[in-house]
Amino acid sequence: MFGEKGYNLIKELARSEDNLPPYNSDLVNEISHEITKQFEENRDDAQNSTIDGSESLLLNTIRIRNGASKRNIRCLMAYHYNRLKCLRTMRWEFGSILPPDIKANLSSDELEWFSNYSKTLVNYMKSIGEDGINLAVDLKPPKALYIEVQCLVDYGRFELSDGTMLLLKKNSRHYLPRSECEELIRQGVFKHIS
Amino acid sequence: MDLDDTNLEDLNDSNDSEDYVHITPAEVLELMEETWVNEKFAPEILPNKTEVVDIILEQIKSMEVNIKNLSNDDFTKNIYQLEVDKLRFMVTSYLRTRLEKIESYVVHILKEEEKRVEKGESKYLSEQEYKFAQDYSRSMDRYFNKIMNFCPNLTSDTWSSKVIEPNNNSFVFMKSKKTIEGLPIDITNADSDLVDIKSGSRVIICYSSIEELVKNGDVNLI
Amino acid sequence: MPLSVSYTPNYYSLEDILATQERIPCRVAQTIPKMGHLNSSSVDVDLQEGTVMEFPLWLVNEVCVSRVPILNPDLPKIYKESYREILKADACAVDLHRLNLHFYELGSYVKKFDKKNDVHQSIIDTFRSRFRQLINLADNSISDPMVQQRLDTLERKLFNDAYKARVKLNIWLEHSATVIEAANMVVNHKKRKRINLEELL
Repeated sequence: MFGEKGYNLIKELARSEDNLPPYNSDLVNEISHEITKQFEENRDDAQNSTIDGSESLLLNTIRIRNGASKRNIRCLMAYHYNRLKCLRTMRWEFGSILPPDIKANLSSDELEWFSNYSKTLVNYMKSIGEDGINLAVDLKPPKALYIEVQCLVDYGRFELSDGTMLLLKKNSRHYLPRSECEELIRQGVFKHIS
Repeated sequence: MDLDDTNLEDLNDSNDSEDYVHITPAEVLELMEETWVNEKFAPEILPNKTEVVDIILEQIKSMEVNIKNLSNDDFTKNIYQLEVDKLRFMVTSYLRTRLEKIESYVVHILKEEEKRVEKGESKYLSEQEYKFAQDYSRSMDRYFNKIMNFCPNLTSDTWSSKVIEPNNNSFVFMKSKKTIEGLPIDITNADSDLVDIKSGSRVIICYSSIEELVKNGDVNLI
Repeated sequence: MPLSVSYTPNYYSLEDILATQERIPCRVAQTIPKMGHLNSSSVDVDLQEGTVMEFPLWLVNEVCVSRVPILNPDLPKIYKESYREILKADACAVDLHRLNLHFYELGSYVKKFDKKNDVHQSIIDTFRSRFRQLINLADNSISDPMVQQRLDTLERKLFNDAYKARVKLNIWLEHSATVIEAANMVVNHKKRKRINLEELL
């Protein structure tokens, strides 16, 4: 049946919540190929169907193929669109530099889009107010100034905004200003102990 | 989100406050909170409130300067800092929500803005947001042109022809600031039942019925 | 952070694409040349008028709208009267998940293939009577996982949202504080890394 490949592409993406499967360029190419082929076959049949009236049944064939290629196009567009949506969320959650194993799952066009998006976002943030504003922090309403955190990795040296230097070792616990550690919690360096 | 307005006033530079004589810090704060919650719960993007955002940003700045001047031993310093953090959260959350709407409905929003300009109405997006929207939409165009260029005849199916629109028929909670009479429950139906809403009452209703009331400030989303 | 939007399928919705892949029994209304290969039980080159077989919903939607339909769709059996009677008797007892993953969304498409227009009301009634059970389920943290498995995709979505809201409310009532957490994707990324490491060992 028509549209199976497109369905598989979409199923693959829908199955993996919150993470991005490797860009499936093989399947994308096969579907693109199918669309081109359907288009060419329809063009040929369209010429034959107009020669004499008895062949007008070919119009049915053309309509079926046209429906199939529309479906293929929708699957392709939705596949790429939803991957970008996911990349966009990654920009907010990981920051402008992606972990290498995630990068490895992206196509070169996707990488280019990501860096463009990053630039667009930074330009916007810089243009707010007089000095710009960082929108990637203050994601949760503040309740307390200081919070207790546990370090999950050997992070190394970390400088607080007042100049104090800390050595962040795995499993060490710290009592720090909330504003200073929010980003590190989001990136999984710290765990917020409540 | 309760802030004691005397704190804000204390921390306000007396020079700065001359720029907005008619509005007290407490009122700005209330306005920001309303603006933020409305934006959070409205399905579509609302007219920008750059004035409010700018005042709050200035306030944050002047409060921060004042906090820096307080001695580290002053225990009120921490309390002021927490208040600044709260303000900043509200402003950034508001701006983030708007960015997300812009990204989700970019083609639709840019088209609507164009119509507003043609009609001589003011834009919903701030200047910076408008630029962001254009940049974003261009990068999407470029990306999808590359993806779909394998077949030169696919002119009708481009990214910008498949417009995603917000669902303004979704239901929202609202609180009325004044008495509203004869509000149609279903605005798309000319024979719709009408309701009267008393000032201060809270109801759940279809957003499209109260869209204009949200925009002119007669009701708040909650 | 994500916008709170009501479920509204658009061109790019993965769920809608999956739902429109469901198969609909049809009768071929006019012979379709060269399309015999769509019918695996025939060796004909053409797909003959009168053939009865299943087509995906997206194709049916595409070719049965015009004045001269190529396919005549029938209601899938789960929306037919015998099933509607079962749902009417006790909708809560039915395993919707087994009937169809996209029971409501598919139903909202195929109801137009029902000339008597009974499907429309049946779907709404089914949702109404199951909704109370759904919210009860989300409110009670110790709920029967078996019941959860009997929800369709839309119900499952509502259940998850309601359940998350309930947990958040409980935390807020008990501690009145919000814990800052690692970003969702970051957490998943770490989990996968761990799995990969285990595979290597």
